[in-house]
Amino acid sequence: MFSVVLYTQWKWARIPLLLLTLAGFALPVLSVRSQYDPGLPALALLERMQRLGPLYPVLALCVGLLVAMIIWMPDRAGRHVYALSLPLPRWKFVLLRYGAGVVLVLSPVLLLGIGALVATAVTQVPPGIHAYPGGITLRFLLATLVAFSIAFAAAAGTSRLTKVVIGVLALVIALEILLSLMGITGADPILKLLEWLASPTGPLDIFAGRWMLLDA
Amino acid sequence: MSFAIETHGLHYRPGRNFELHDVSLHVPAGAVYGFLGPNGSGKTTTIRLLMGLLKPHAGSITVLGHAVPAEAPRALLATGYVPERPHLYPTLTVAESIRYHAAFYPRWDRRSGDDLLRRFGLDESRPLGRLSKGEMGKLMILLALAQAPDLLLLDEPTDGLDPVVRREVLTALLDYVSEREATVFISSHLVHELERICDWVGVMDRGRQVVELPMQSFKNGIKRLRVHGAPAQLGDTPFVVLAREYTDGASETWVVRGWQAPMDQYFGGVGASLREVVDLDLEEGFVELLRTARAPRQEA
Repeated sequence: MFSVVLYTQWKWARIPLLLLTLAGFALPVLSVRSQYDPGLPALALLERMQRLGPLYPVLALCVGLLVAMIIWMPDRAGRHVYALSLPLPRWKFVLLRYGAGVVLVLSPVLLLGIGALVATAVTQVPPGIHAYPGGITLRFLLATLVAFSIAFAAAAGTSRLTKVVIGVLALVIALEILLSLMGITGADPILKLLEWLASPTGPLDIFAGRWMLLDA
Repeated sequence: MSFAIETHGLHYRPGRNFELHDVSLHVPAGAVYGFLGPNGSGKTTTIRLLMGLLKPHAGSITVLGHAVPAEAPRALLATGYVPERPHLYPTLTVAESIRYHAAFYPRWDRRSGDDLLRRFGLDESRPLGRLSKGEMGKLMILLALAQAPDLLLLDEPTDGLDPVVRREVLTALLDYVSEREATVFISSHLVHELERICDWVGVMDRGRQVVELPMQSFKNGIKRLRVHGAPAQLGDTPFVVLAREYTDGASETWVVRGWQAPMDQYFGGVGASLREVVDLDLEEGFVELLRTARAPRQEA
């Protein structure tokens, strides 16, 4: 059962997944090859390496979002009739889709890991600087899984759930406007929400901070 | 009598414009049950309720002994479903769709699937998005039959198909039923199509169940009578007069329900004579039935 679900999802997502997998391999290789200069002092090298750091979470977001959206697209187009008419509980079907999706998002992660290993293997790292191919791969994996899980939940949800989420967001925005009109400062709900999402206890913290293959 | 499908007081209201009201079905095990009704009468909604795709607001559903929707997955293991509109994934090929579908059914009959594939002449390598309507209809029947179900829920399976494909599909269906003694619940608004194959009939109209009875009773009970010299006021009749039309002079045509042969004595009693009793086909009977079902509400 899992194998056929995996196969169908692979078939639907294979082209964007192939491109993202290639990007996963290319990102660490290109970031090191394009920014690395053996003549630079360690601090300057780290600054240059940091320039391409944000591309890692962006790639993780793209992988998670695209795969999650693509694997639910045929069900959404058919209003989930086929999925619901299959003889298994809904949670089990969702779990199958999720599991197969996780397997799919592993390919860019795997290639990013290989790319990171290749990039660090062919580069002579200056004293005081360390390569973290395993660390960045693990972080990329976690970020991809977070992005995939959030997008998966949104894509799998009913239109009613989508309306509820949009309603909550509209409420927060309305509250923000109302507070601003009333001249109440220091109670910015949107800012607080964003702060919480990116805080160490929030779900999006994994995307924040420095993404460095080479670091001190 | 054991029932493959049983519902009691089923009620469902998807929106303001439509309501399924008090539907109580009794589909005997092994029967071919024709579910008739005009477009928008609630046939598809009822079938979706039986499948567990929708949750009723009131009433109970039992399918193959399992309460639906709570135990729907168990019931669905032995239920073949053909929806009104194709529900399969259009980017998969025929072979991929069969493989995908088969994986969910432990009773999948590979040999039967291969036989039907050959019989229907389907190209395994063709994506579903490029199949004709007829080919898609055949594939959906193939998937429903090859899973070796005890119950087939077919929602207008031949709607829009050409006569040749329609015959192929119905023949495959009847072959399966005669071989496996499965129960078939088939909805259609093409009344004549069901006349040949069904042994029970349920009729829906505007979200309400009009009637449920054996096909034989349905067909025998409704007659067209040619009557001569009938009085203007009929008084009490031993049958129900559904329609009364004047043809020429003193001759009239009546459509009646609940007719039995000894009732012709009635005409002598009112000074009229019965010239002819004509059997109505299912379609004519169906139309007359709907006409009478609607009449009281229209008057109200």
